[in-house]
Amino acid sequence: MDRRDFIKTCGTVAVVSMLNRDFFSQALAQQKDGMFQAYKKALLVKQDGSPLKEEDIKPHVNYIFFYPHTATPCYLLNLGESIPPAEIKLKDGKSYKWGGGVGSKKSIVAYSAICAHQWSYPTPQYSFINYYPPDTPSETTKKAGIIQCCAHLALYDPKAGGSVIDGPAEFPLASIVLQEEGGNFYAVGVLGKDQFQQFFDNYRTELRQQYGSTAKARELVDKCIVMEVDKYVQAVVRC
Amino acid sequence: MITRRDLLKSAGVGAIALSVSSQPVFAAAERVVKMEALMPPPKGNRVVICGGGWAGLTVAKYLKKENPNIEVILIEQKPVFFSCPISNPWLADLVGLDFLQHDYLQPASKYGYTFMNDRVIAIERDKRRVYTTRGYIQYDYLVLAPGIRYNYSAWFGDNRELARLTKVNFPPAYIPGSEHLALKRKIHEFEEGDFIIVVPPGAYRCPPAPYERACMVAEVFKRNKVKGRVIVLDPKEDIAPKGPGFRAAFEQVYLGIIEYVPKASIKEIDPVKKVIKTTAGDFKFTDANISPPHQAGELVWMADLIAKDKEGKPTGWADQDPLTFQAKADPHVFLVGDVIGGVPYPKSGHMGNSQGKIVAKVIASRIAGKEYKPTLPDNTCYSMVNGSPQEAIVINVTYEYNEKEKKITPKPKTINERSEALAKATYEWARAIYRDMFS
Ligand SMILES: Cc1cc2nc3c(=O)[nH]c(=O)nc-3n(C[C@H](O)[C@H](O)[C@H](O)COP(=O)(O)OP(=O)(O)OC[C@H]3O[C@@H](n4cnc5c(N)ncnc54)[C@H](O)[C@@H]3O)c2cc1C
Ligand code: FES
Repeated sequence: MDRRDFIKTCGTVAVVSMLNRDFFSQALAQQKDGMFQAYKKALLVKQDGSPLKEEDIKPHVNYIFFYPHTATPCYLLNLGESIPPAEIKLKDGKSYKWGGGVGSKKSIVAYSAICAHQWSYPTPQYSFINYYPPDTPSETTKKAGIIQCCAHLALYDPKAGGSVIDGPAEFPLASIVLQEEGGNFYAVGVLGKDQFQQFFDNYRTELRQQYGSTAKARELVDKCIVMEVDKYVQAVVRC
Repeated sequence: MITRRDLLKSAGVGAIALSVSSQPVFAAAERVVKMEALMPPPKGNRVVICGGGWAGLTVAKYLKKENPNIEVILIEQKPVFFSCPISNPWLADLVGLDFLQHDYLQPASKYGYTFMNDRVIAIERDKRRVYTTRGYIQYDYLVLAPGIRYNYSAWFGDNRELARLTKVNFPPAYIPGSEHLALKRKIHEFEEGDFIIVVPPGAYRCPPAPYERACMVAEVFKRNKVKGRVIVLDPKEDIAPKGPGFRAAFEQVYLGIIEYVPKASIKEIDPVKKVIKTTAGDFKFTDANISPPHQAGELVWMADLIAKDKEGKPTGWADQDPLTFQAKADPHVFLVGDVIGGVPYPKSGHMGNSQGKIVAKVIASRIAGKEYKPTLPDNTCYSMVNGSPQEAIVINVTYEYNEKEKKITPKPKTINERSEALAKATYEWARAIYRDMFS
């Protein structure tokens, strides 16, 4: 498969040509296994519409945005330290390469916020899956610096590509591939096993109520508003 | 000529023949022997799953996900799924019945397995046949997931009349359906007096269920301003699991309504005079929720796969490999869910779901001729301990396997401090796991 084929496969000429070379070759290698999916390139913005800058992303605050579809929630985290790339191993023996943090300190990461176990996700009413900063360990598992889902206590490691630390999830959280260009941040694709099909299958009624139709919920975005999760969610449920 | 003994053996109903009067069984066996095939013989690999509860439903879906070419047939006697989990909050009207009921057709159509609404009446392991009321089905692999049965004879011996009166008038409501509806009617109509909840002895379905139930019954009494008490008769020395969380709810939320009586093993029950005699004293009651000891469901007895203790007596629970869930006596049979014995796993829906995924992987690998090293299941269990405001507690248990000692050790984590956040998580636990089984 040459670069041209790859671009055709993804059907997103503009997006792929903007990716940096390193990531591009990585993604190309992974495309064979279907581990990387490029989507519309989307600018991360603040609630006032201006581009989100690195200084806006405070360490250990749980931010939410929606990508690549209008209704698919993701978490953005500044982990306060340089996060190196990692090889993410799956339970079935497969693996994929994850690029690590972005930003000047390589400390910024993003993941799909749909639990890879049974798809609990942050809604405007509540979020059962949340980030637990280093100074706020989970009451049940006593772990900190993790993403934990209270539905059945799946634990994920945001420092290691969202891989599973403990609990019932079979897959890591899918990562949102971020790219920094001239001080702005873009989401460009999804790496790992996304759970979008299950998400749209399972929440038809809820998504219709919230977005008017499933088609609207599925629309691809080219801009993502980033906000603190407790500004979006009424009750952040920790356990 | 086929003898009566042969007939019983070949119909796989020997175990029943010993436990009840043999004449009707002989007739049933004769009927089974005359039965014809209900389906053509399997073309490739056919897995027949008996029991569409938490465990069986999970095996069916995940087998098809592992390999869509496997022919999967799920046989379930009930036309609609009714959930025991969340049935306690439902008793106190915290959720509606629609939260508990689900249709079997959605997953069957989506994942492409056959849902057969029928009752399994016999199993012939040597011929690999399962008999339903309409005929037999040949299998390559058989999964038995029938849940529990009640063992009234542990209390009443052969006196079926006493067992019948106790079951009909004071239903255990550990097997979902009419018993749950009856229990709800009883507590909502209760005017005054003592309402007794009997915690079953030995291993039983859902260890925290009777304590959660006590809270929810007390919730209804509190709301209805009933002059009454909920008396929990427990053969154990103390409440477990989540003891401190339940005790705090009994003493703080339902003080004067719930009375907890430990070390109360049942000596005698008189369902007519409404008296229960226990090792902790005698109790007269106005109404009650009485659960006898539990055992593995009928089908495991029928298949003659019940474990024996050192003296050769049946333990009441299935005899399966602790890691693969394969029957020790038969590599073509797998046992899953509440039926299993010899492992430190609680009998819970979450467990059944978690084990079901492992069993699906083991069978699919075996069909593919591959070795699969099974992982261990896990369990998360929320209990609603207050209805106004809704508050819950939680326990999560993961397990570790020591290869050398061949021992599985539980690693529990508990939050005994009740909270509204955990009550919300209780429903999310259920919604998520229903999603997993049904959509
Ligand atoms: C009040 C209460 C509260 C509970 N709360 C929780 C909770 O919060 N969380 C939790 O994880 N667990 C809970 N449980 C436990 C949970 O309900 C059980 O552990 C779970 O149902 C076990 O699953 P299973 O598949 O082994 O059996 P079941 O779910 O009972 O399924 C067995 C199925 O087999 C069918 N069957 C049996 N014999 C035949 C036959 N001969 N032919 C055809 N079909 C047959 C039955 O009809 C049944 O549908 C609770 C239980 C109770 C009673
Ligand atoms: S849905 Fe998140 S742990 Fe199960």
